[in-house]
Amino acid sequence: MKIKRSIYLIGFLCLSLSTYAQKKEFKFGKVTPEDFNAKPFGQDSAAAAVKIFDVGDCYFEYNDRNGFEFVFEQHVRYKIINKNAYDLADFQIALYRGSNSAKEDVSRMEAATYNMEDDKLVITKLGKDAKFTENFNKNYQIKKYTLANIKEGSVIEYKYTIRSPFTFNLRGWSFQSGIPTLYTEYNVKIPEYLFYKPSFIGYYRPTQTKRETINAHYVTGVNSSAVYSQYVAENVPAMKDEPFITTMDDYISSIEFELMATRYPNDIYRDFNGTWPKIVKDLAEDENFGLFVKRNAVAKSLLPTIIKTETDTLKIANLIYNYVKTNTKWNDSYRRYTSETNPKTILEKKTGSSADINLLLLIFLKEAKIDANPVLISTRNNGAHPGNPIISKFNSVLVSAKIGGKDIIMDATNNDHFLGMVSYQSLNHQGFSIDLKSQTGTWIALEPSFNDEKIYNYSLTLDKENKLKGTMLQYYKGYGALSLRNRYRSNASETEFIKNLKKDKQGLEIDSYKINNLNNFEELLNEELTVTIEDNVEEAGNLVYLNPLLYERTKENFLKHEARTFPVDFGYPKKESIRATINFPEDYEIDKLPKGGVFKLPENKGSFTISFLSQEKTVLVRSVIEINKSVFSPEEYFDIKELFKVIVEKQAEQIVFKKKS
Amino acid sequence: MKKHIYLTLLIALMSTFAWAQNNYDVSKIPDQLKQDAVAVVRNEQKNFDVKSIGSAQYDYKTAITIINKAGERFSNMVIGYDKFSSIYGVKATIYDANGKKIKDYKSADIKDESASDGFSIYNDNRVKYLNFSNTTFPYTIEYSYSQDFKGILDYPSWQDLKGFGVSVEQSSYTVQTAKGITFRFITNNGLKTDSLKNSDKTKYVWKSENRPAIGSEPLSSGLSDVSNWVLASSNDFEFDGTKGNLNNWKDFGMWFHKLNEGGNVLPETLKAKVQSLTKDAANTKEKIRILYNYLQQNTRYVSIQLGIGGFKPILAEKVAQVNYGDCKALSNYMKAMLNEAGIHSNLVLIGNDMPSLNKNFASNRQSNHMILCVPQKNDTLFLECTSQYKPMGFIGYSNSDRDVLLITENGGKVVRTNTYNAKDNYQIRKTKIDIDDSGLANIAIRTNYGNAQFEDNFSLLLKEPSEQRKSIISNNDIPGAELIGFKIEQADKTIPIMTDEINFKTNQLFTKGGEKLFLTLNQTNRKESAPAKVNNRKTHFSVPYSYNDQDEISFTLPKGYAVEFMPKDIDISSEFGSYTAKFLVKDNIITYVRTQTMNNSKYPPEKYNEYVDFYKKIYQADKLKAVLTKI
Repeated sequence: MKIKRSIYLIGFLCLSLSTYAQKKEFKFGKVTPEDFNAKPFGQDSAAAAVKIFDVGDCYFEYNDRNGFEFVFEQHVRYKIINKNAYDLADFQIALYRGSNSAKEDVSRMEAATYNMEDDKLVITKLGKDAKFTENFNKNYQIKKYTLANIKEGSVIEYKYTIRSPFTFNLRGWSFQSGIPTLYTEYNVKIPEYLFYKPSFIGYYRPTQTKRETINAHYVTGVNSSAVYSQYVAENVPAMKDEPFITTMDDYISSIEFELMATRYPNDIYRDFNGTWPKIVKDLAEDENFGLFVKRNAVAKSLLPTIIKTETDTLKIANLIYNYVKTNTKWNDSYRRYTSETNPKTILEKKTGSSADINLLLLIFLKEAKIDANPVLISTRNNGAHPGNPIISKFNSVLVSAKIGGKDIIMDATNNDHFLGMVSYQSLNHQGFSIDLKSQTGTWIALEPSFNDEKIYNYSLTLDKENKLKGTMLQYYKGYGALSLRNRYRSNASETEFIKNLKKDKQGLEIDSYKINNLNNFEELLNEELTVTIEDNVEEAGNLVYLNPLLYERTKENFLKHEARTFPVDFGYPKKESIRATINFPEDYEIDKLPKGGVFKLPENKGSFTISFLSQEKTVLVRSVIEINKSVFSPEEYFDIKELFKVIVEKQAEQIVFKKKS
Repeated sequence: MKKHIYLTLLIALMSTFAWAQNNYDVSKIPDQLKQDAVAVVRNEQKNFDVKSIGSAQYDYKTAITIINKAGERFSNMVIGYDKFSSIYGVKATIYDANGKKIKDYKSADIKDESASDGFSIYNDNRVKYLNFSNTTFPYTIEYSYSQDFKGILDYPSWQDLKGFGVSVEQSSYTVQTAKGITFRFITNNGLKTDSLKNSDKTKYVWKSENRPAIGSEPLSSGLSDVSNWVLASSNDFEFDGTKGNLNNWKDFGMWFHKLNEGGNVLPETLKAKVQSLTKDAANTKEKIRILYNYLQQNTRYVSIQLGIGGFKPILAEKVAQVNYGDCKALSNYMKAMLNEAGIHSNLVLIGNDMPSLNKNFASNRQSNHMILCVPQKNDTLFLECTSQYKPMGFIGYSNSDRDVLLITENGGKVVRTNTYNAKDNYQIRKTKIDIDDSGLANIAIRTNYGNAQFEDNFSLLLKEPSEQRKSIISNNDIPGAELIGFKIEQADKTIPIMTDEINFKTNQLFTKGGEKLFLTLNQTNRKESAPAKVNNRKTHFSVPYSYNDQDEISFTLPKGYAVEFMPKDIDISSEFGSYTAKFLVKDNIITYVRTQTMNNSKYPPEKYNEYVDFYKKIYQADKLKAVLTKI
């Protein structure tokens, strides 16, 4: 009995070893019955396809023309379970082309579809007329391929090689995709002369199964070595989107590489970006960064007309900030380097990237003797910077100025920003501040200095025709003001704006509308409305009832889902206060008002307060929602979800009047 | 001294001349053109000079004042081209509010990219574009270019109003043809056509001046009813090495038929397969069903559009090899298989999601898609061959109820596709809500969807269960509801009907108000708002398709609740549709029955406010509540 069991155990081990051994062999065209039986697993058991394996190799070759080039090979095999995955049979490769003749090439493309038909393997290779080349623009060429004879149950695979002279960043590798992956590995062999920094991104970490020195040959007659690293991940679940996140790229398991240093034979160790000091030094000496900031001629000539006789530093900063933001228009692109050689050009063109505009701002601030530094950031869509010395992950730049002992972060890309406000995309929690003079850099926290705050004050009288008449005063601060200004300006006219304002606000008639301080950033942005509201008071027999919070009540919980994998990231804290005063007719009476309440999340993360009061023929309702953090962990998700559940329930409560008759 | 004066005078004269050429001073725009306008077309000139049946020169020049931020979407230049045309002489300039030139753009500022149509894996369309930008409003953009065509199928069309919120100071279109070349055109009612003929050229000119902007209007069926427009088409044409003529639909159909001649030969193996698949079929319809199923199981849609390939289907033989193709290739392939089974069918050119073909005016751009028609004695079938899922004969509402071009060996023939009426496009929902003593409600909803409503919900059926779950939770409106379970199915794949069954529970069904409990009776299909009224509406409006919804909800209340108030039954009808709601209490059971039928039609603008009134009554009826008290 005992013996038998141990035999069984050994058998089991061998089995798992042998599948492992099989997996290690990735030969194009060698499709096995196991491939046809590949099944999705776990939470993805109903997936439309499975990635059976995805194997990448990245190694170097040397030639006299370009020096070291990297070669990237990918070999991937899928099992298609149902028609939803047919798109996998259309795939494309983007190739970069530099400004000179340097470009990436693809070669050795092999691809095929495998079907089992009457127990026979039928192979359809990628046809010649199923390959297309699209010259997308001057920098990118896209190679496109489409496979034939795709059916439910097909196995498909493709394998190709890219050769690239652009070695600053190697092709990265994603261990995860929209479908589940059984096995994926990336093999990187880096010559002893080059040093790369890997950075990991995502929720699932691959395991590094190898890091060894191997023999390599790059130049005939010279024996070299290379460092061989292998990263492996098995049974990786499919990536599923969630709302309120920075970007999915922050959570997809992947690895990227950036060149850190070189040490060629007969040459010294050359540090490119190996350390932050080196990165900072290079930036300080870059034509399109540090040296650009030194070009102060335009600032020198214009500054007196901007600041005139002003002497207060904060006021000067404000004048400069206003000047730059109103005289330039952001062209919707994020850059970490300016594309101009002369700051004056940006003012002439009146348009530029985030780097153009914010570095211009920096030049003016410096000229006014304000202690200011550029701050490199990675925007929300670009994903979180991993923190180690990697320059290529930054994609934009802000300005930090020390005024009155306080650091103010500036972003002049939007005319409607307050001093100290940065765009939503720039709110990615950290930035790398660079002191160009001393050539030092430090990470700084980039939490928003403004909330999204809205205050609604209603003063309404209910009449016997079930109409509400009166005023609505609405105040907007921080990101709330930014968003109202943006909405207001996106409309053709105030009439159009009012038309859109009324959309989805059933029964709202606006008798007069006034927006105050639209272009005055010193005072509170607000709207004054006189309104007549129909359709919001209901009758049931001798009862008349209404919801006093009207259009601003939170009608449904936007956090509907049961589980959460990633943090909820709103960007900034929020606060919404509603104060509704409603006068009602003499012969109406209130039986009983709803109960008020205070609901608080632990550690003051958020709260909701609601109160109902009545005095003679007036009801006063106050509701305040505060979300005091911008990021909530998946564990905290349930807390805010519960809070909003209470908000929806309590804000729905009606005021009921009884008619005296 | 004299010379000096002369010079000054000359300069003054020259500058007045330049001023008159393009006076883009914004203050010169008449007030009525600024009303509701986000942009003003100052001067647009379109010229099409046809030199021979296969070659033409197109010259385009426009100046647009961008009034405010909302007008920025018109602040760009986009020029499409392909291998049958070349672009040259592109000029672009931007002017400030006073009409003073800010700058000329350089050719390096103009980007050149491949143009994606959003569905083709590959096509040969390209685009040159430029985004104009200025920090202050208003400003004026001006650009011009020329384009030489080799091969002409379509003449450019023209419409003075470019969109909602755009007024027109001046716009004109000129077509000039060389001797011996004829073409056809149609215009909107009331547009004057000026023509001029001399020995070697004929010239046609259409003009539009001082047209105020029309502000955006909800549910609008577009600006074409209120614009000045011209559609023009070649008669004899030459395109990518073929010749044909477009005099009428018959001739255009003939050209199309000839392009495809010999294109539906099947390989022997597939012929045998067709024979063996259909040999036991009871009747023709059964054969069609078998072959359509074979098509759906074995092919997929891949769009590749190159030159004449945009018109000529890939050979059936080729499709048999690769098992993919675009709408033309797959329709033609299906036709070849039917042919092998002895069933006659015709290719059909159709405007998917476009208006019907104009019976009296043949031109190429009126269709964008191909389906297959299988004429039958009693019920002619249309087959959408690009879908791997659609039940046989179901072509969806973007193909249904419109005039299309049937391609026969005798040329083209305009026929109409089948119509789905309100009765066909149904959503029938039955809900049971049991409320227990603690106020917890168990909700069971069962819904059947037919035809267009099947189509609208179909994508849910294809999702993985985990994604279906997310989607049901996101779309649910019942407050505080927790999803307990669900089932979504299309029991019979051959008919466009699907069913879902969803179970929720919630303890937030009642809304409180002091000591009363309010119960919104329509928990499953509420119209949450009505569109706003529009004064002096200009454009027609329509609803996407006719449909009918039926809802029945039965609430079982626990002991200890008294129904204090129930709304009265409601019955509303209008030319747009009809609506009823019935409320019934018996013992502890409340029954709510709602029906809504909507008729799709194009309604004139003056009917719009009546439509809003009708909709508003529905909105009000949908939120009616019962009042309950605890005893």
